[in-house]
Amino acid sequence: MRYMLIMQAPESMAVEQAGGVPPAEVFEAMGRYNHDLVEAGVLLAAEGLTPSAEGFVVTHDGESATVTDGPFTEAKELVAGFWILEVASREEAVQWARRCPIGPGVRLEVRRVGELAEFEGVAPTEVLDAEATLRRRIAEREAERHQS
Amino acid sequence: MRFMLLLKYDEAAQAATPPDPAMFEEMGRFNTAMVDAGVLLAGEGLMPSAQGSVVAFDGEEPTVSDGPFTEAKELVGGFWILKVDSLQEAVSWARRAPFRHGERLEVRRVSEPEDFEDIAPPEVMEQEEQLRARAAEQHGQ
Repeated sequence: MRYMLIMQAPESMAVEQAGGVPPAEVFEAMGRYNHDLVEAGVLLAAEGLTPSAEGFVVTHDGESATVTDGPFTEAKELVAGFWILEVASREEAVQWARRCPIGPGVRLEVRRVGELAEFEGVAPTEVLDAEATLRRRIAEREAERHQS
Repeated sequence: MRFMLLLKYDEAAQAATPPDPAMFEEMGRFNTAMVDAGVLLAGEGLMPSAQGSVVAFDGEEPTVSDGPFTEAKELVGGFWILKVDSLQEAVSWARRAPFRHGERLEVRRVSEPEDFEDIAPPEVMEQEEQLRARAAEQHGQ
């Protein structure tokens, strides 16, 4: 089973701005955590997001899409980054989430990632087949990119 | 540059509407267009929050609450990660996404090692690069 840990935090807690703990220690603690995830063979992917000042929101309501530039000042907390883990159970995902070295005021949302097989009977078969083909094409392209 | 498109939606409102087969087809076409253009790096959908938990780091010990997250107005429903040349290109892909029920796509730049050059210790950055390579090998990417 795949689970996504979504880090939700007030933007003022970004490591560059947060007072108190020196950034080097924050990075070292996170590095140890990521190391443990890889040692256990459970880490599939992880990324951090840049401040919302560099982002924007596209709202889709029927006819058209409207675009609003960041920063998203009205949001109390924002997604700061994520991990995707391959684990045997929800409990295992929650255990890893509990070990994450993050400070007070941060939440980790633990969400199960959907698998194509679960949509059999819901989505048209040809759409699911096409989706599987797309995933293979992405994986092949990435493999070529890494070799070159 | 890499951008993450985060789908934000109202879970309670969505639960009332059964999935529409046409929506899967439109989503398939949107995904195909991104793969054809060579911009799609990853994309996943998340299951309802009833199958999830929240771990809050507020006191000495983290506290765990099980889903569904009924108090949340908006939840993350899924994401795409794109590799594009500019923010404008990311905006135009986000505009093309086949949604029409008030869904919002938050578009955020994904950090690159260069973003942390003067902040993170160099040895942590090097270790991070090795970890990425190991994780990719372990899972056959």
